[in-house]
Amino acid sequence: MSPCSPRRVRRTRSGLTPGRWGWAAFLSLVVLFAAGMSQAASAAQKNSVATITSEILTEIFPGGGTMGPVSGNPPARPVYRDGTVVGYVFSSRDVVSSVGFSGNPIDIYAGLDIKGRLTGAFLHKHTEPILVIGIAEKRLIEYVSQFAGIDVSRGAGLGGGVQPAVEPAKTAPDVISGASVSSAVIRNAIFRSARAVARSRHIFTDDSKNRLDRETYTEATWPALMEDGSVVRLRLNQAGVAKALGAVLEPDVPPDGLFIDLYTGLMSPPRVGENLIGKLDFNDLLAGMAANDQIIVVIADGLYSFKGTGYIRSGLFDRIQLVQGSSTIRLSKDRYRNVERFRIPGAPEFREIGIFIIPAATGFDPLEPWRLELLVNRNTVDRGMLHAAFSLPYTLPGKYRLTSTASGTEPDNGFDDKFGARYWAHEWEDRLVEIVILGLILGVLSGVLFFQDRVVANAERYRLFRRLFLAVVVIWLGWIVGGQLSIINVLTFIHSLLGEFHWEFFLLDPVTFILWGYVAVALLFWGRGVFCGWLCPFGALQELLNEGARKLNVPQVSVPFAVHERLWPIKYVIFLGLLAVSLHSTNLAIVGAEVEPFKTAITLKFDRAWPFVAFAVALLAAGLFIERFYCRYLCPLGGALAIPARIRMFDWLKRRFQCGEVCDLCAGQCGVQAIHPDGTINPNECIHCLNCQTLYFDENLCPPLIAIRKRRERRQKLAGGGDNETVE
Amino acid sequence: MKQWNKSRRRALTVIAGIGAGFLMPGAVCATPLRRYEWRGTALGAEASIILYHADHKEAEHAVRRAVLEIERLESEFSLYRAESALCRLNRNGFLDAPSLDMVRLLSECRRFGDLSDGAFDASVQPLWRLYADHFAGHPGDGSGPPRTAVEAARLLVDYRRVDIREGRIVLGRGMEITLNGIAQGYITDRVVDLLRRHGWSNVLVNLGELRALDGRGNGNPWVVMLDGALAGSDGAGGTLTVPLDNRAMATSAGSGTRFDSSGRHHHLFDPASGDSPGHYRAVSVSAPDATTADALSTAIFTAPPARAASMMTRAASMITRAGRADVAAWLTDAGGRTKFLKG
Repeated sequence: MSPCSPRRVRRTRSGLTPGRWGWAAFLSLVVLFAAGMSQAASAAQKNSVATITSEILTEIFPGGGTMGPVSGNPPARPVYRDGTVVGYVFSSRDVVSSVGFSGNPIDIYAGLDIKGRLTGAFLHKHTEPILVIGIAEKRLIEYVSQFAGIDVSRGAGLGGGVQPAVEPAKTAPDVISGASVSSAVIRNAIFRSARAVARSRHIFTDDSKNRLDRETYTEATWPALMEDGSVVRLRLNQAGVAKALGAVLEPDVPPDGLFIDLYTGLMSPPRVGENLIGKLDFNDLLAGMAANDQIIVVIADGLYSFKGTGYIRSGLFDRIQLVQGSSTIRLSKDRYRNVERFRIPGAPEFREIGIFIIPAATGFDPLEPWRLELLVNRNTVDRGMLHAAFSLPYTLPGKYRLTSTASGTEPDNGFDDKFGARYWAHEWEDRLVEIVILGLILGVLSGVLFFQDRVVANAERYRLFRRLFLAVVVIWLGWIVGGQLSIINVLTFIHSLLGEFHWEFFLLDPVTFILWGYVAVALLFWGRGVFCGWLCPFGALQELLNEGARKLNVPQVSVPFAVHERLWPIKYVIFLGLLAVSLHSTNLAIVGAEVEPFKTAITLKFDRAWPFVAFAVALLAAGLFIERFYCRYLCPLGGALAIPARIRMFDWLKRRFQCGEVCDLCAGQCGVQAIHPDGTINPNECIHCLNCQTLYFDENLCPPLIAIRKRRERRQKLAGGGDNETVE
Repeated sequence: MKQWNKSRRRALTVIAGIGAGFLMPGAVCATPLRRYEWRGTALGAEASIILYHADHKEAEHAVRRAVLEIERLESEFSLYRAESALCRLNRNGFLDAPSLDMVRLLSECRRFGDLSDGAFDASVQPLWRLYADHFAGHPGDGSGPPRTAVEAARLLVDYRRVDIREGRIVLGRGMEITLNGIAQGYITDRVVDLLRRHGWSNVLVNLGELRALDGRGNGNPWVVMLDGALAGSDGAGGTLTVPLDNRAMATSAGSGTRFDSSGRHHHLFDPASGDSPGHYRAVSVSAPDATTADALSTAIFTAPPARAASMMTRAASMITRAGRADVAAWLTDAGGRTKFLKG
């Protein structure tokens, strides 16, 4: 240990930085103000569709008309022309709670004519950070407007939907590149709400008939679905199958061994489908098929596969078929989806789960009983091919049947379920590998930070390690996993604190969630530097490029400190500006967040329109001459993190009393010039790269240490007349 | 050709049930069961389903189900419906996305073809077409179509050239299939399966072939009577009665559809010669299921009599269930003598 106190509190020279309490007061004012605004906003929204203006009406319902009052369930407003209803306008938010990744509902106004065609759609409201990280809002608005003219009784044209070949059907627009999840959310919101409105207004179905309830969702567990006949089961053991085949049971086969445990059921009712595979996948499935198509699920366990392998070549499942009344329906590969695992609570693991879309053109009537037939073949040497067929009959439980008489017609509003309650858990399981690797990286980083004195003891080895670590952050965390935190995350978080806070929405993206959790704790311990200096892929990219530039003898510009510290506040101004804008319009804030080159350089890997690429490249180029130019002066995220980092509880970076007094060696070597000429390390600017700490412990570089070493050596020389002393 | 289709009916040589009690609902008064009978047609033949149940509605419901199943399978196997899967197969030479029933039945055809060394052959339809066309143009011409034409048609017959692939069935060039020697049995089995699945017992299904599901509801088995034409002109006993306990019975007889008045040419063909075989007046087979009974009766009727016994033995070993060999045949020759064979 050094003879001087490493934790000596220095007087602060905080020329341009407001004091801690000033910040806190300012922030709480901002928060209170924002909370008030959002309260006022949410009070005004009862039925979103009620606020449709006549301008919007002409956009989503060309030709316009007079709008009636909000009525019915799901709520919609009829559009009248000459006294007759020509269509409906509705808000997707009123009809289905399509929740985007931001955790807030996306609200799309749309019009539907009485033939079931969308007349137009208008993006009324959204706060989609993930979506907008990939694209400009203009393209989003364009995307939504392209839905006009689509017959919602048909599929969205993305697989599975069967298009009757009568006329070339207009299909839903393609996915917005770079934002496939969010465009799917939008597409599904439009389709599902339009179909719900159409069904409840009897646009698809004959008024006089009973119909299938495709709207009501209630939560159900697997045992509950088995119990009420939503899913039926057939269990066949070896002996039973051998008997049906007329075959002799082989001696090594146990007679009561499970041959197949087969389940099936109609999945179209949301109580079955949505519970089984989750809302997001279920909506996606529905959007990809025609409105009157049906879905059945086939599940099996045991030795025998209901799929076999023949379908891979022939496109047709040769072990199962659907029989209803006098029609036989073959199940084909192109209308089949494999499901890895159910989301429903209480479901055991199954060997195979398949979803089959049954086109309306097959004449399949979901209200009528049907059966799944399973064919078992066994080729024998002496007796040729033996066959046996087994049937699993299904009858629709009464609860999924809506009778047209009086009260039962309108479905209850079943859309108030909490989105994502189980979805996020699945997401974590799916990304387990990423999560584990990220955990290892964070573990290593924590080790480095906790034992920084020992880690920096060997400066050469430490620098090599740091380069390696940064490379992993750029390549794996940034480019491969997309784990780049952004100022948008901060804005979303603040907004969700002001509005309704749901853990689920943040849990949906495990990497971002873990990173934020870690950064939040690290803020208390070490300050913003843990993120900026270690976990920010763009920061790492800048630093590695700058190191390369130094190797190539690119001249480095040292910004005079007086200029340097006057440039610091820019990032805080940008951050506060974005925060203020976001209170007015999240979309505008998201456009403003383009000052971050993260999206261009990391998320989209430079695959973007040239102005964005030029901007990102320009920042990286500046970073070749002034290390971490962007981090120092512009980064709003760095600014946002620096503010709460003021409450950090420890000072880890060691200083000597000589620092700044007699020596400013490390100040000159600091990559981001975070060391004041007086020797203080400015925690708002420090990226915690530990460069100063390697110097601090270096007996050959740190002048106070050199002095101590020299004195010691002299003493040793005097005392022992050291033989093998070396003189430097 | 249509006139053949209408008249080409398999003779019902088996009469379902005997005794006065069978016919009258009140006769089973010991139980609340009532007798219900449905009559209709299946694959161009008269068909009936007889069942015993206490509830009228239930019985009606079961019959409706059965009729839908018959309708479904007819749209697969019927030669009399232009849009049936079989007609499409014959017309196009291939059939895409065949139903599992079609795949299964054609596999069975192949199996019975192998078992009978080709005496049962589902691809004899070109011969039938030749004869039908000939006698439509020359009614009363006892000699039949010219030999060369018969030979040419015969060359098209070979069940082994029916290619059952994954998702597609392909026929050899010029080939055509008839399932009339086996499909009645298959449909009978499917209807019985269906009713059994829905908890029915005490049913007799007669779709050209017979199959009984349990007894008659009063503890007695179903009893069938092989009619006079079969049981003998020797007059000994006149008729032959056979109990049918959860079994099937099928009969093949040349008298079903005759092309000429003499009866020398009829709807069954020997694939080996191209002629209608005349060894028997009728062959009845009793087996655990109607598909086997139907195919086997056709095969025995067609093949030379010397092969009947070996075919029965092979069939018995082929359908062995739990070690019990149980096929039986009644062969009535042209002279009216009936011979009993057990497999």
